[in-house]
Amino acid sequence: MRDHFKFSLPDEYNQQQLTGALADHYVIKKERTVLKNMAIYDTFDWRLFDKSFVLYTSENKLFLRKLFKNATIHSVAITSPPVFVWDFPDSELKEKLSSVLKMRALLKLIGLHSRLTAHRILNQDKKTVARLVYEEIRLLRGKNAPVLATYLWLQPVRGYTKDCQNITKHLEKGGFTALKKEDIYFKAMEAAGKSPGSYSSKLKIQLDPAMRSDEATKIILRYLLEIMKINEANLENDLDTEFLHDFRVSTRRTRSALGQIKSVFPKNIAGRFKKEFAFVGKLSNQLRDLDVYLLKEDAFKAILPPVLRDDIDPLFGYLRKNRSKALKNVIRGLKSKKYGQIMQNWESFLDEPLQDQPPEASNANVPVINLARKRIYKQYRRIVKDGSRILENTEDKKFHALRIECKKLRYLMEFFSSLFPRKKINMLIAQLKTLQDNLGDFNDVCVQEKYLLNIADELPATHRKSKKAQVAIGSLIGALDREKQIIKDAFATTFTDYASSSNKRAFSELFASKQKETVP
Amino acid sequence: MTTLALYSNKGGVGKTTAAVNLSYLAAQAGAKTLICDLDSQSSATYYFRVKPKLKFGAKGFIKGGEKINKSIKGTDYENLDLLPADFTLRNLDAVFGKFKRPKERLSKILKPLKSEYDLVILDCPVTISILAENIFNAVEFILVPLIPTTLSVRTYKQLLSFCRKNKYDAGKIYAFFSMVDGRKKMHKELMAMMLKEFNGVLRSHIPYLSQIERMGIEREPVAAFAPGSVASKAYQNLWSKFQEAAFANPSI
Repeated sequence: MRDHFKFSLPDEYNQQQLTGALADHYVIKKERTVLKNMAIYDTFDWRLFDKSFVLYTSENKLFLRKLFKNATIHSVAITSPPVFVWDFPDSELKEKLSSVLKMRALLKLIGLHSRLTAHRILNQDKKTVARLVYEEIRLLRGKNAPVLATYLWLQPVRGYTKDCQNITKHLEKGGFTALKKEDIYFKAMEAAGKSPGSYSSKLKIQLDPAMRSDEATKIILRYLLEIMKINEANLENDLDTEFLHDFRVSTRRTRSALGQIKSVFPKNIAGRFKKEFAFVGKLSNQLRDLDVYLLKEDAFKAILPPVLRDDIDPLFGYLRKNRSKALKNVIRGLKSKKYGQIMQNWESFLDEPLQDQPPEASNANVPVINLARKRIYKQYRRIVKDGSRILENTEDKKFHALRIECKKLRYLMEFFSSLFPRKKINMLIAQLKTLQDNLGDFNDVCVQEKYLLNIADELPATHRKSKKAQVAIGSLIGALDREKQIIKDAFATTFTDYASSSNKRAFSELFASKQKETVP
Repeated sequence: MTTLALYSNKGGVGKTTAAVNLSYLAAQAGAKTLICDLDSQSSATYYFRVKPKLKFGAKGFIKGGEKINKSIKGTDYENLDLLPADFTLRNLDAVFGKFKRPKERLSKILKPLKSEYDLVILDCPVTISILAENIFNAVEFILVPLIPTTLSVRTYKQLLSFCRKNKYDAGKIYAFFSMVDGRKKMHKELMAMMLKEFNGVLRSHIPYLSQIERMGIEREPVAAFAPGSVASKAYQNLWSKFQEAAFANPSI
């Protein structure tokens, strides 16, 4: 579909102005008014908006377009409102959005009601050479509801470019103004009280290099607390698995910050909160594990030989049952007195004014840039050392330990990324991510293997179906074991790349101690 | 992309009205459709109220590509575009002859349209010369209107034997009855005979109706200006019978 031209209307518009602008040149034929309901969708973390996509439903069809463009990229007929991308009908639209939406649920952001009146513009042969569509958009149905926006659309007909240009000229003379950088999307979001892109699980923390380290750390921790709160508020609705995931990541990052940004707070305080956030994390361990298995249902089935594929269903039925119990436990945990007290204490601690010379906090007054460099560089060297040992001895335990150390480094680099040249630090983070992916895959396989072994014991064995499920589980474990070896084999190359001399040089350039230069 | 030619080596049998209505119905059903008016008499172009003019004439047509793209016009209907006819197309045979592999020129011209359209329908002039061979080479399906008269049957036989001799696949030829007068005994008998004797004759017929003739006054497909009419239903039936035959059961 060709893009349409959009015009804003002159003040106190009435239809005669439209006919008046064109009457000398064309015959105008008004068609009957059509009503259309639309609803705009996005995920909680604005995955579509981040990619400049607008996804909306209208009359049992789902449409995808780009912001500021009217042309549809893909559309598909649907029978129920869209929630998860895996429930979309097989289509180009599904293919396009699978990797964007992944496991996140779509939320209806706002509903719009549009009244469209088309006017066909005819030439001497009474051939339609363009269409002018007058559109009124409202938040509520009904002619008397307040109008959010009105537009006049010029829809060109192929092969009649000249007419289209002429019509544009006449319209502009008649007081209509062409609109380019405008999209109803933003007006609609404003009306819905939503600000696109306002939530992201990524850390966007701005720090000043000369800032005191305890102050900077509190900024980081405050940011993480906000993310925890936002997601906590949505956990009970259970729209998708990622509210919990983001909540847990923030909890983990908080703990990591307390441990890794050393000696900025008095030791007993940091230690106490670290323990308490470990408690918070544990509240949802089981639920997250179950989420991960259930998200992998299709992938698990795909590894199984076809004869066993349906036999595994009792396992997932069992997991689903467990999950609803686990969710209830989590919600109970988050409503508990203990949790409430932890969060309250934490917030008051973050609100406390900074002390001039806090006891037992030797780094509190150090400029944050120096502490950031020191901590990141030290952690990097530790990983290089530990990783080199794994190359000689590939015990599972060591992979696990290295994965944890890498995570700590990743968090440090992300907390402090605003202090370093963006391109350079992003490149180093990307390299670390490659290594982490390898270690993460390894860990996933290990955890799954262990879990399946446990489940095999737990699954009620009286049923004939359960016995078949046991066979399927056995087959899965075999497949996972082979995968484990493949990942281990890949580690050597991945790690050697990471510990290469050029990478070492990049780290040392950016992070090796330069205290004399930077301290004013 | 599906390519279909409305073709006959006999004139005045209802090619153009069928091409216009079938392309309209396909577009309404959601297929991005292009109707190409290859007939220099430009009747299909007239029905859609478009000027019978190709930007670069027959010479541009034969070059294809951008020259064709620039000549395509949107019709008044969603999903339906038209490549208009041009008076210079009357010389197509001669122009084709000047090229290497003259019989495959049309295939080449249509190829770039594949990405844009789901369906291309050719409205062909009466011909059984080099243009006809171009058409046979270029399209997947040929749809022939048959008036149930002895002369019409004779020309159909001629067409089939021409294909046999020149090794064109007669399997892609489908026929339907056109301008049928239900009161005439001879029409009925001939139709029964044809259905028995030939492969690819569709069990669908377009009656002889004044409503179809009205298309010249309305300058619209009958399926558009009288969607519930007998004529419109007959074309709908023809379109579904053709699709059943061509896509679901190619052996009828």
